[in-house]
Amino acid sequence: MHSFLRSVFILAGLCLCVSSHAADALPPLTTADSLGPKVEQPIEFPHNRHAGLRDPADAADPSVPAKGGMEINCMYCHTGARRSNVAAIPPLQKCIGCHRNIESVKETPRIQKLFEYWEAKKPIPWKKVHDLPDFVRFNHERHVKRFVFAQNKPVQEACGYCHGDVKTMTVAQRQKPLSMGWCVTCHEKDHPVSATSSETSHGPNDCWQCHK
Amino acid sequence: MSVTNLLENWSTFRHFHPVDDKPHEQYKWAMAINLDACTGCNACSVACYAENNIAVVGKDKYAHGQTMHWMRIERYWDEDGREFPDQGAQFLPMMCQQCEAAPCETVCPVGATNHTADGLNSQVYNRCIGSRYCSANCPFKVRYFNWYDYPDQEKVWPEPLPQQLNPDLTVRTKGVMEKCTFCVQRLTAAKSDARNEGRSVRDGDVQTACQQACPAGAISFGNLVDPQSKIAKQWEKQRVELAAHDEQEKDKEGSELRGYRIFEELRAYPSVMYLERVRESAV
Repeated sequence: MHSFLRSVFILAGLCLCVSSHAADALPPLTTADSLGPKVEQPIEFPHNRHAGLRDPADAADPSVPAKGGMEINCMYCHTGARRSNVAAIPPLQKCIGCHRNIESVKETPRIQKLFEYWEAKKPIPWKKVHDLPDFVRFNHERHVKRFVFAQNKPVQEACGYCHGDVKTMTVAQRQKPLSMGWCVTCHEKDHPVSATSSETSHGPNDCWQCHK
Repeated sequence: MSVTNLLENWSTFRHFHPVDDKPHEQYKWAMAINLDACTGCNACSVACYAENNIAVVGKDKYAHGQTMHWMRIERYWDEDGREFPDQGAQFLPMMCQQCEAAPCETVCPVGATNHTADGLNSQVYNRCIGSRYCSANCPFKVRYFNWYDYPDQEKVWPEPLPQQLNPDLTVRTKGVMEKCTFCVQRLTAAKSDARNEGRSVRDGDVQTACQQACPAGAISFGNLVDPQSKIAKQWEKQRVELAAHDEQEKDKEGSELRGYRIFEELRAYPSVMYLERVRESAV
């Protein structure tokens, strides 16, 4: 009788253990509400057209005109990324520099709006999508130098760690939570120092590296 | 470990210190202030206000002891019987001493103040809950508490003054503690630039705001780990060792050395050395 009771208690205890463990399981890191509001931009800028991949069927043949995207390097427009804290939104001049020579799309509504800003000598009031709190210091340069230049990772992959698959978006939207815990998951990992080296190091974990 | 053992061998237990145990690898920021050159002009304090977005609280709040001067000039009158215009005075610029064994760090209930690998005493504003325990435990009284919402409610920076705020550090809000950071935003930028060139920060690459503003050149700042830096040479010359705690050369009769650290006997191991010959009038 006693042994029967004991086994019942053990079983009940086991069930409790299992259920409490399940309740402790970490929630998924990316949740819909952690991504912030959907940002409406003054011009619906098509990232997919600029940075997206060419039609995969034609990718092998460079003589075939690009039907999908144009595979422009992220840093062609976001020039600050490799040399400063901020990636930088390109000045209107940069858009016009190409678009004044692209006759085929000059009459489309978005490009006409672009030239309206240009003729009025007004900057486009782009809105910030990846807006970190004021107490956080994030340095684009350090990340780009490490992943793109030292490790030879493709640019879109390296930028995509934090910005998601921008080449498939029109207006960029947040795809990652950009929370401290999310940053730390990557900083804790060992990353190779360079493409050829087997030496690894992980990101800094000093408070003052990121907090200011 | 019995209490008797602890009490009897207290000195050996107390000697154990992070610097002896684990020396700094690349950087150890330190400062030296030449009090013989300091004229007490307050330029360092003004520069600090400008660099670090410090709120100017006004006369009334100052009288309540709610001022925020991270860098303050302490004034000591000579007491030799002379009256005011003729009375001698000494000045001592006082800021966070970035102690190696910082008393403030151990008492923070939320771990908002920590030691960094560069030997700085960090203060993380968004983690701080405003218990003010750190300030109570600071022997130098160099931590300042935001009693009011200075930017929004007190309007210490009316338009267009917010335009001049330094974007490299937070504008602190009500209920957080703040203190001198050795201009960590400048240090971070200098370290990043140096890393691009594959080297460490060289002496002279980075200046703190107070050092830059000092007209007498009384403040020197640099990396103690680099033996070629001016600061390391000064510390070496004055025989101030970061972890030295027993009787030092300067304490001996007739010593020509003039480097000392404040409250050295508390063994907080400050990273700021002051230089001054002990004068008869000041004793």
